[in-house]
Amino acid sequence: MEAAVVFKDLEWRYEHRKSFALNGINLEIKKNDFIGVVGANEHGKTTLVSAISGLVPHSYNGIYKGSVDVFGERVFDSDALQLATNVGIVFSDPEAQFTAMTVEEELAFGLENMGFDLSKIKERIDWAAEITLIQDLLDKSPYDISGGQKQRVAIACVLAMNPPIIIMDEPTSMIDPLGKNLIFDILRRLKEAGEHTLIVVEHNVEQLAPLADKMLLMYEGLVDRYLPTREFFSDPDYLQNRGVLAPESTEFSQWLISEGALPAITDLPLDLAGGIEATRQALKKR
Amino acid sequence: MKNLITVQELDFVYPDGTPALFDINLEVGEKEFIALIGQNGSGKTTFSKCLNGLFKPTKGNVFVDDLDTRDKGIIKQLVTKVGYVFQNPDHQLFNRNVWSEIAYGPKNIGLSKDDVKERVIEAAQVAGVHEGIFDTHPYFLDKGLRQRVAIASILAMRPKTIIVDEPTTGQDVRQSIEVMNFLQHLREEGHTIIIITHEMRIVADYAERTVVLGQGRKLLDGPTREIFAQPDILEQTFVEPPQITQLGQALVKKGLPNDVLTVEEMKAAFKK
Amino acid sequence: MTTEATVHPTTGRVAKSRKTLLGYVPMISPFYAYHPATRLILFLFLGVIPLFIFIPEVNMLLLLVNLALLRWGRIDIKRLKMYMPVIFTVAIFMFTVVILAPGNDPRYTPLDLFGKTIYYQPVFFTFGAYWRLIAMLFGTILYFSTNRERDLLVGLRALRLPFVASYVVGLSIRSSGMFMEDFRTIREAEQARGLDTKAMRFSDQVKLYMMYLIPLFSIALRRADEISNALFARGYTLTGRTSTGEPRQDYIRSIYSYSKRDYVAIAIMVGIFVVTALAQILFGVFAIENSPLNIYLRQALGIPF
Repeated sequence: MEAAVVFKDLEWRYEHRKSFALNGINLEIKKNDFIGVVGANEHGKTTLVSAISGLVPHSYNGIYKGSVDVFGERVFDSDALQLATNVGIVFSDPEAQFTAMTVEEELAFGLENMGFDLSKIKERIDWAAEITLIQDLLDKSPYDISGGQKQRVAIACVLAMNPPIIIMDEPTSMIDPLGKNLIFDILRRLKEAGEHTLIVVEHNVEQLAPLADKMLLMYEGLVDRYLPTREFFSDPDYLQNRGVLAPESTEFSQWLISEGALPAITDLPLDLAGGIEATRQALKKR
Repeated sequence: MKNLITVQELDFVYPDGTPALFDINLEVGEKEFIALIGQNGSGKTTFSKCLNGLFKPTKGNVFVDDLDTRDKGIIKQLVTKVGYVFQNPDHQLFNRNVWSEIAYGPKNIGLSKDDVKERVIEAAQVAGVHEGIFDTHPYFLDKGLRQRVAIASILAMRPKTIIVDEPTTGQDVRQSIEVMNFLQHLREEGHTIIIITHEMRIVADYAERTVVLGQGRKLLDGPTREIFAQPDILEQTFVEPPQITQLGQALVKKGLPNDVLTVEEMKAAFKK
Repeated sequence: MTTEATVHPTTGRVAKSRKTLLGYVPMISPFYAYHPATRLILFLFLGVIPLFIFIPEVNMLLLLVNLALLRWGRIDIKRLKMYMPVIFTVAIFMFTVVILAPGNDPRYTPLDLFGKTIYYQPVFFTFGAYWRLIAMLFGTILYFSTNRERDLLVGLRALRLPFVASYVVGLSIRSSGMFMEDFRTIREAEQARGLDTKAMRFSDQVKLYMMYLIPLFSIALRRADEISNALFARGYTLTGRTSTGEPRQDYIRSIYSYSKRDYVAIAIMVGIFVVTALAQILFGVFAIENSPLNIYLRQALGIPF
């Protein structure tokens, strides 16, 4: 399958910082994969995804070495419009992403930038609103809607432009639990549709892990681990050292396997349902 | 033991007419660690602001020590009893350097210059703010340090009760543990800690008592273990117990407990 | 514009009006049948025409027209209470100034009122100016009570304001909204540090407002970074160039359309405006000397013309 993103020896240092944020990234992200990016703060997660979306180097000053290619096009040489066509990004602050007067205007903005005609704009708005369940909010102003709703609007804006790669940088960190669930529901549906490469940075590993095909651990500006999800969680102590907590069901199931209560070939569960099933089996075995 | 805060039949209606809290009763004692949970809009933040006099009850009373929050001109006394740390430290930092930030509260309540100095040094030490940054403008510090300065500026007034709004939002694992351990340490030093949070794992690990609000009413109030064992009531305010607790609850018929709080407890329960 | 009622989640109350940055607009109003550009022209009309009218009675009439329009437009009169302080403060201020500092013109007629000497002409002039101001103010109030921010932006673009300018206006409106939210939170944070604003001297209160600027600016600066990243991610280029090379469409404006009543309304407003302006400029029809009240008072007080 085609590579969506290829990093070659990428290094980046922000202008006024002493150390490099990225110390030599070599990475290939497959098309339509769902990648979960985790790791402690200030270790390069945001910088990594910024290098894909082009914010690094186009929006920041600093030192750039190596290269990033998105579908064969070099990020360094692309301009904002080319980048936005290929890569959509949702940030963590729902307030700062809402700059228009109503939800509908917000959705139309990106589409107008793309140069679409009116009927296409309407089509895309309706489609994106349906996936993110914001059809009833189209006429509302930013102060009429909650943070979670604003964040879904931000996701809808990105979806409406339909870039093949969608990045989300801690999309739920400022959202309440109900809002979090709705956002992860959207991610689940996008994953099932299988038409986008999804790269999600999150601290909420519990809801991220069941969705991710691969997990990527950033540590000190390098890709420390990049493995299919189940393999990734097979060493919870190492992960904890690196500031990542596995979902509780996964941790418990891991322990059941190590205690011999479950066969070693068991598929490591990543969510509650899987954990319940695994524990049920282990109890039966007793 | 005397109550630090007593809430009696508290009703609160916003100035524009929107009702927010209905008939809440609560007692907060010394050296407690309480988590206040509930969905957005349940009244958690509104309620917490009634506890330190930022909001005055529309009906009912809130007594802090023996002070009635409804009394006029009482703010200076209340802040020495109940401290409030806002979610975004940027909202609280408005002085030109760290020293004046921490000194602001004590100066406001009229302490002498020497007393102020003593309070600042003490608070900075407890909060882990070293004197090297006393001259720095808070804007240039990283988020974790800004949060510490905010906490230090509250500690400088030596309140017995400290309310912290979302202490771990946006933090990674290590930072969250650091903040929560620090709050636990404060509790051991004699403070009562009340945290408002959405992270149930944190509640399970640190809070011995949990108060659940839903649609402006108090739904549950008790030891955290008992609270998480009632998922059907928690559902009303869109709260789920930690994943490991839910695991036990799903397999109660197979002999697992319905009120484990941590993976370690589950391991112990399984062994039996 | 939706005509469905918004039901409040906790109280079940049905909202009659919705909040905008600058006031309240009704959920349902006959004004919404008109294109935002027409409504903007009405604002310019009601706001500018008093500049040509120096006769207080005519401006008072204009004010009555404004009030009638507010009534017809289904604006919640209760919401207008917030403008009362302004109206009284301005009156007190203006009349105090003119009584204490009337200026020096030998043609002024001194009058003795309650033992104090006041001069007729500047006072009457201020009277006229005051009603002009009030008429203009209510024109503004009418506009912001019947238009949401979106209507303002669409109206501006329909009147040929370039997209970039309209976007800047929009961003400013949105930013001030965010600013006010932050301001409220910062006030609470200060109170939580023992700040009792009611017990402070005025000079300290002024110093206080200076202090608010520090956190407001920190937050605004941080947010400015995030906003510009969000714009970058939406492919926005200040040049207005689009990714396909096609001209930029205006989707929101395309939702609105002009109808016959728009053309009629605009024609009437432009017509009255032109006639009034010309009447005043060429013939001085609305000069202050033509005010019946002025004429009556001068007769009664024996002031020559």
